[in-house]
Amino acid sequence: MEKKILPPEMSALRPDLGEAVSILEEKAPYGAVSLSSREYTRYLVDNNQERVMPGEPTAGVILTAFDGHTMREKGVGGFHRDELLKGAKEFVSGIHFEKNGKLDPGKERVEDFQTEMEHDPALVSTQDKLDYLREMNQRVKKIDSRIVNARVSFMEMREKTVFRNRAVDLAQDVQRVHMSIMVTAMGEKGVVMDWASKCGTAGLEVLSFSDDDLEKLVKNAIGLLDAGRIEPGEYTVVTAPGVSGVIAHESFGHGVETDMFVKERAKAAHYVGKRVGSDLVNIYDDPGYPGAFGSYFFDDEGLPSKATQIVKDGIFVRGITDFFSATKLGIERSPNGRRQDFTRKVYPRMTNTFFGSGAMPLDELIGQVDDGIYIPKVSSGMEDPKGWGIQVSGHFGFEIKNGVLTDKMYAPVGLTGYVPDVLESISAVSNDFDLSGGYCGKGTKETVPVTDGGPHLLMKVRLG
Amino acid sequence: MLGKIQKALSDNQVIKAWTIRHEITHGFQQYELKKSTESLREVTSELFTVDVLCDSENNEGKPGSGLGTVSLLPGADINSALEKAVLTAQLVHNEPYDFAEPTSIPDIELADYDYLEDPAGKIQGVLNTLKETTASFPHVRLTAAECFGQEKTTHLVSSKGIDATQKDTRVYLQWVYIGGSGDSEVETFAEVYRRRISDLDLKEEAALRAQYTSDLLEAQGPPSYTGPIYVQGPTLAVMVAGEMLAGSLIQTLSSATLKYSGETPWDIGKSIFREDVKGDDLQMWANRQLPYGIPSSSFDNEGIPAQRIALIQDNKLAAFIADQRFANYLKMQPSGDFGSIEIPGGSIPQSELQTGSYIEIAEYSWFNPSPVTGDFACEIRLGYIVEDGKRKPFKGGMLVGNLLDALADMRWSKETGFYGNYLGPKAALFNNLKVVG
Repeated sequence: MEKKILPPEMSALRPDLGEAVSILEEKAPYGAVSLSSREYTRYLVDNNQERVMPGEPTAGVILTAFDGHTMREKGVGGFHRDELLKGAKEFVSGIHFEKNGKLDPGKERVEDFQTEMEHDPALVSTQDKLDYLREMNQRVKKIDSRIVNARVSFMEMREKTVFRNRAVDLAQDVQRVHMSIMVTAMGEKGVVMDWASKCGTAGLEVLSFSDDDLEKLVKNAIGLLDAGRIEPGEYTVVTAPGVSGVIAHESFGHGVETDMFVKERAKAAHYVGKRVGSDLVNIYDDPGYPGAFGSYFFDDEGLPSKATQIVKDGIFVRGITDFFSATKLGIERSPNGRRQDFTRKVYPRMTNTFFGSGAMPLDELIGQVDDGIYIPKVSSGMEDPKGWGIQVSGHFGFEIKNGVLTDKMYAPVGLTGYVPDVLESISAVSNDFDLSGGYCGKGTKETVPVTDGGPHLLMKVRLG
Repeated sequence: MLGKIQKALSDNQVIKAWTIRHEITHGFQQYELKKSTESLREVTSELFTVDVLCDSENNEGKPGSGLGTVSLLPGADINSALEKAVLTAQLVHNEPYDFAEPTSIPDIELADYDYLEDPAGKIQGVLNTLKETTASFPHVRLTAAECFGQEKTTHLVSSKGIDATQKDTRVYLQWVYIGGSGDSEVETFAEVYRRRISDLDLKEEAALRAQYTSDLLEAQGPPSYTGPIYVQGPTLAVMVAGEMLAGSLIQTLSSATLKYSGETPWDIGKSIFREDVKGDDLQMWANRQLPYGIPSSSFDNEGIPAQRIALIQDNKLAAFIADQRFANYLKMQPSGDFGSIEIPGGSIPQSELQTGSYIEIAEYSWFNPSPVTGDFACEIRLGYIVEDGKRKPFKGGMLVGNLLDALADMRWSKETGFYGNYLGPKAALFNNLKVVG
C-alpha cells in the first residue's frame, strides 16, 4: 500500500510506470523507469547578512533501456503522463539491442519508505529556522571579540524517488539536514577560519550544538592565528574519526567503485583476496546506516540498502557496484548505484564509508605516542585509484608529547603516502566511532551526499 | 508561463522589485568504455527562477530588505510559489538595497554554433577524434571517455526593465589513458571544460597526456628540493584561476561580500602580498567578457552586464568584485559575477624559463590551497627533475608553500594560452618553492 510520501504529480504518474517498463522491454532485455524529485534550501545568518537560498530543484522522469552492453537513458524534466508512454515508445524505436536474457531485475518487492523524524523540517516555519540560526550566531560571536564573522548555515534536502522495473515497485522520501558554523578570525598573518557541522538523514533533532562545542570551535579558530607550519617528514599520527574516514574514502572507497575496475583504473582490481593493510583494518560501506547523511532505503537502480564489507582484517574482499559494472564484471551487485539527479547517469558510488572500530580506549591509544601529531579535522582529500597515492588535507594538527595531547598547533597538515603503506602502518584502533557528513564528486562532477568515519587510528605517515 | 508569472508579480503590491530567469537546457551525454559505448543519454529540462525583494523589519523595528527566491517547473502553481517567496522575503532582514538597473548588455560570444548544428553527432565526432588521435600513441590505451554537450537558453526579465536573452553551450570531455601492464600499470586522467569543441585543443592535449602516461612508467620517487619550480598549461591555470567550477583564492579575497564582513585583508590601493615582490609585477583582470570563457556571460543572474574589471594593477588591488547588494552597501559600481582571470604575457619566452636546473610540476593530485590563507601542501602526481636539459620524471611527494608568496616571487612567460577560465601566460617559473620527498 502506497504511503502518502510523494507529491501529487509523482503519485499520479506511478500507476503507469509498469506499462512504460513493458513498452521498453518489448525492445530491450531490461527496462526501468524512475521518477526523481530533489529539492534543497539553504538558510544562512552571519554578522552582516541573512539569506534563504533555494537550490534549483530537479524533477523528472528517467527511461532506462539496457542490453548488457550499452545503457541508454532519456531524462525529461517534469512529470507529464501524456508524454511517458509515448516517450517510452519513441525512445526505444529504431535502436538495435543485443539479445541478453541474463539481466536480473532483482527480487520482487513493492514497498514505500520514509525517513523517520522527530522534527520534520517541512513542518517548521521559515521564521523559526531563521530565529534558530540568529540565536546560534549570537551565541558564537559573543565568545571572543577577535571573531570577525560567525556564519551559521542550515541546509534541508528532500529527495523523493520512485523506481519501477518488471520486479520492483519502490518509493522513498529521504530527508537530509546539514548545519554548519564557520568562524572567521583576523590576525597579523591574515584571515583564518574553522568550522563545526552536524548532519544526518533525519529531522532537525540532530542539529543541536552544546556550549562546549561552540567554545572549542572558537578556541581552535583563534588558535589558528598563531599556528605554525609543520616540518615536513614522517610522523607517528593519530587521526580523529573524520580524518580516518577520509582515508577510507580515498583509499578503499573511490578505488573500489567498480566502474574503475571495468575502466582498468583501479589497482585494487588485482588485489581481491590479497592483503592491503594490517590485521586491524576493516572498511565498510553501508547505505543503510541509520540516520547517516549518505543513507537511503534503496539505490537509484532499485536495490535495497545493505552493508558491504570492503576490507576484512586487512584483506580486500570486494568493491561496490552499480548495475552496469556488476553485469560487466559478473559479480554480485551492491546497492551503490547513485545518480546526482535525473540529468545524470548512475555510477557506483560510496554512501557511508568507514573503518570498523577496535577495542582500545582513546586515552590508551594516545598514551602510546611519545612524539607525534593528532589530526582532528580534515578539509579535503583526493584519490589515486591507479597509483594508490593518497592526499588528505588536515585543517590543523596538535602535537602529542610523551603520550599527552598538547596545545601546540600546526596548520595546515597535509597527509600523503602510498595506500598499502599507510594501511599497513595502522597499529592501533580505538573503540569509539563517529561519522562526518559532506559531499563527494567523481572527478569534478556527480555530487552526492556521503559520510566518512570510523574510530581513531594510530599510524605512521608523511606530513607536510 | 513567463507572462503569467510576470503578471502575478506585477499585481503584487508588496513586492518592491523582481526578476524572473527562464532557463531551457538540452544536453547529450556519451560514455565510452574501451571500444564500445557504455551509455548514451539525452536530457531536457526547463525552469523558472523568481527573485522577489520586499521591505522587511527586524525584531527592533529597523527597516531593511529581504530577498525571497523560488524555482518553478512548467505547470507549477504560480500563486502559491510566489506567496512562499514573498513570505520568505519578509522574514529575512538585511540592510536596504535594490535590484540592478537596466544598462546596456554586451553581446558576448558564448555558443558553439558548429556544435548546435548536430549536437549528438558532434559529441560522437569528439570521441572519434580522441580515439583516432590515441591510435598514434601505441604505448597508451584509451580505456574510458565521457563527452557531454549542453545548450542553454536564458531569458531574464525584471521589474526594473531588464529584458535580455543569451544562449550558451558547454562541452565537457574526460578520458583515461592507461600505460604499462600488470602491477606496474599507470594512468593519466584528463578533464576539460570549454564552450566550443574547437577550444578543447584535443590533439595537443591528447599528445601531452600520452607523454605523461609514458613518463609515469619511468618515474622514480620524489626528491627533497627547494628552488625554482616550473609549471605550464592547464596545471598553471588551475593554480592561478582555481578549478573550473570552484573559483580561486584570488576570487575569494577580492570579494566585496568578504570586504563588507571584514573577512579579507585586501584593500584597494594596497599590495595583495604580505612581502615585497621579488619577481614580475602582477597585473590581473576579472573578465566576464572573455569570448567563450566558461564563467563568461552577457548578463549574470541579477542582470548585471558582463565587464572586464582591472582587479590587480602593479601588485595592488584595484577593485573588489561586487554583486548588486554589496555594491550598494559599499557604494561602488556592481561588477556581477567574477568571470575568468586574465593576465598579460610576461617578458620572457617560455624557452628561457626552461634553462638551468629546476623542477617541473606536470600534475598535482589536487591543487587545493586554503581558500583564505593560500597555504598549500599538495601531492605531486607527476613531476620532472630537469638538469642540463635532461628531464627525469618522478611521482609522489608534496609541493609545499603559500600561493600568494609564490605569486610574489615568479616570472611569467611571454606566450599566452586560454584554458577555459584563464587567459594568460602559458608558463611560469616560481623562484623558490619546496618539494618534500
